[in-house]
Amino acid sequence: MATKASASPSTYSPSTRRRKQERPNIKDPDWVRSDGRGFHQCRPAFLRTGAVNAAAGSAYAEFGNTKVIVSVFGPRESKKAMMYSDIGRLNCNISYTTFATSIRGQGSDHKEYSSMLHKALEGAIILESFPKTTVDVFALVLESGGSDLPVVISCASLALADAGIMMYDLVAAVSVSCLGTNLIIDPVLEEESYQDGSLMITFMPSRNEVTQMTITGEWSTQKIHEAMELCLDACSKLRTIMSSCLKEAAFASNE
Amino acid sequence: MRQMEEGEVVTPGEVLGKASELRAGKGAYVSPETNLVYASLTGRRSILSPAPDSNDQRPIVEITGHKAHSVVPEPGCTVIARVKKVMAKTASVDIMCVDAKSVREKFTGIIRQQDVRATEIDKVDMHTSFRVGDIVRASVLSLGDARAYYLSTAKNELGVVSARSAAGAIMIPISWTEMQCPLTGQIEKRKVAKVQT
Repeated sequence: MATKASASPSTYSPSTRRRKQERPNIKDPDWVRSDGRGFHQCRPAFLRTGAVNAAAGSAYAEFGNTKVIVSVFGPRESKKAMMYSDIGRLNCNISYTTFATSIRGQGSDHKEYSSMLHKALEGAIILESFPKTTVDVFALVLESGGSDLPVVISCASLALADAGIMMYDLVAAVSVSCLGTNLIIDPVLEEESYQDGSLMITFMPSRNEVTQMTITGEWSTQKIHEAMELCLDACSKLRTIMSSCLKEAAFASNE
Repeated sequence: MRQMEEGEVVTPGEVLGKASELRAGKGAYVSPETNLVYASLTGRRSILSPAPDSNDQRPIVEITGHKAHSVVPEPGCTVIARVKKVMAKTASVDIMCVDAKSVREKFTGIIRQQDVRATEIDKVDMHTSFRVGDIVRASVLSLGDARAYYLSTAKNELGVVSARSAAGAIMIPISWTEMQCPLTGQIEKRKVAKVQT
């Protein structure tokens, strides 16, 4: 039970009664998103490369409250136990800091993100350019504010470009959530918890190729088409932002 | 298509031109579906004119990286390595530099008995060619197996460039098979590289 106000104020104990998460009435036509964005508006992106000196390449991304840092090592020698391969290998790992989520240690629920990141990136890297060696991608989520995996994928692709790994194109990723009849792009954590379904696309805009598409939950065919259009458009725009971030870094290092 | 200026910074995936007009050099690739040349690295675009006697007279477009791409040993390049282990028929080395650039993390290489020199290859004694701790200039023969690159010192300018004697001093080369210690005068046998003067 909740602590009564009349109890002695010298000690504080948190309320043990869970506050019921009330789903806001999304059918209400006046429902706005908690941060005031339009349904089809993404969060402003802050991207920087060269965040980690020890790594061959690195990038830091901040999309609203989601903060991610990715470092890339390589190409370096594969472990002795690995079999010979005439193309390069990609090794991805995503980990959450203990303070990334509001409840400590909750980020370890996302063990499958590492293999999803691998699938998204392996189609974009020219593996034949570094035979017999391995490229390691380590992503650390500093704060999880929703839409974590798309932010990690975009940031990882920037880090790979920063490391000088040959790629077919930059990979931009965006996810869309379905809440009732509404489609909202780039959901925050709160919106993700109410969603009926989610769709994430990782896209190479210059080549017009999708490297990965992930759909969960309840979708109608019509909604899927709409959501895909939204995602592809947002990915193209995100790519121009990523590209200008790389060019800025290139100019800055030349001066 | 937007006309690109010389020296403009490009990012991976940007279109550099048509495959019919340009050839893809380092840092660029051609997509067979669209017949366009795309960049695969971040850097400045530069156009090189083709060799006058080649069949293909298209200019070559290259991307010169603003950030040096980490080097990886490739067949044909010259490497500097330190000897780690000498065995009866092979010497195991750590590759430290590839061409003129040092690597961030070492690669493992192996020099086999038949690759130490060009003449009398079956009479080679590994212990009179290399010792542990020697710095060797070698060329990469091939990618080798899962564990090591195959290296060769079978040329005059390849072999030991720097070695310490038993007394601990850096030795002076006196012939292609011998080095002498300046402190004790002792002569030790190595496969010595002929340094260009």
